[in-house]
Amino acid sequence: MDTQKLANHIGCVVLLAAALGWPAFAQQPIYKAPAAADWSALSKLPDFSGVWERGGGGGRGAGARGRSGGPSFTPRYEAMRAAAASAPQPEDNATANCLPPGMPGIMGQPYPMEFLLTPGKVTIVIEAYTQVRHIYTDGRSLPGEPDPKFFGTSIGRWEGDTLVAETVGFNDHVQHARGVPHGEKMKIVERFRLTDPDTMSIETTITDPGVLTMPYTTTASLRRHRDWTISEYVCEENNRNSVDQSGKAAIDLTLPGTNKK
Amino acid sequence: MRPSAPLPLLALALLVAAVMPAAAHHSFAAFDMANQKTITGAVKQVDWTNPHIWIWIDVANDKGGSDTYGFEGMSPNYLARRGWTRTTLHVGDTITVSYRPMKDGKKGGMFVSGTTAAGKVLTMGGAGDGEPAR
Repeated sequence: MDTQKLANHIGCVVLLAAALGWPAFAQQPIYKAPAAADWSALSKLPDFSGVWERGGGGGRGAGARGRSGGPSFTPRYEAMRAAAASAPQPEDNATANCLPPGMPGIMGQPYPMEFLLTPGKVTIVIEAYTQVRHIYTDGRSLPGEPDPKFFGTSIGRWEGDTLVAETVGFNDHVQHARGVPHGEKMKIVERFRLTDPDTMSIETTITDPGVLTMPYTTTASLRRHRDWTISEYVCEENNRNSVDQSGKAAIDLTLPGTNKK
Repeated sequence: MRPSAPLPLLALALLVAAVMPAAAHHSFAAFDMANQKTITGAVKQVDWTNPHIWIWIDVANDKGGSDTYGFEGMSPNYLARRGWTRTTLHVGDTITVSYRPMKDGKKGGMFVSGTTAAGKVLTMGGAGDGEPAR
């Protein structure tokens, strides 16, 4: 390919990109360099610092209650749930293969998490599966067409002493129940606040127009351990569990020192 | 069909978490949870690793040799916050393990508790007196 042909080629691609509205050149939110005032403003916020352990049970669903306290589905999705429930059940889920649970399951793991407040952002360091959530509090908007992700895309704002996080854009690993996918417009709103000096309450509300008949809300609490640190959790380090495509679970008991599959 | 819906938004994880916290990583499908066996052997190796620790013991067989059994425990992260360390068990220690056996009959299962030769009881809740060390 000579230079002229190459130039034409590139020109075509650029024109095509422009015609299709490819987001390659779309304006991305800029993370502004914090000034001293931005750092000092953090001291006015509630103290979320440190390592928090999930406690206080799993959180009861409130608001929209379907069968057994779960979310209430529209007829089409309730039919999916019922069909999946009566089909042969897989013995395990993909976490056995070390995929992390998506939202909001990742927030309910039996491992601690740490909250980091920096100017324009709240970062949640999650020990389970070594995951991180990024909640932008710099005033940016949620993306109109977010890429699907395990944890979605999050923005947050402070309403008094409550951090309100909104999250959209979930991948297919996120399901309402086994066999019940989420819709395009599913949104999760989390309200984080301190209820006493070392207790944090998280109220989680899921809305999904066309899928849920009404918002589904659960609450959970976290307990702070000032003497804990987040530890390493590399799931692939020595994972002997697995689940295959048919849903069959297995454990590899290959003796140590020999070749583990 | 997708083999497994990761976490049905909360439900499964929390159900499992409520039963046995650090096992949320996987189900109990491979274990015979209706049965509990006990076996005594010598610690061959301890894998102080995520997502689970593995305790391997050599158990004398009737052929004059020994068979190695593997027992899955909680994670080192979980256990370290409850009094265990990577040297709670040493190679060569005699231990009697209570476990949920493998459904497929292989040698091993899910560690429930262990008793050392000195009578110290080790559970997944904590080492020593069995109470979580918090």
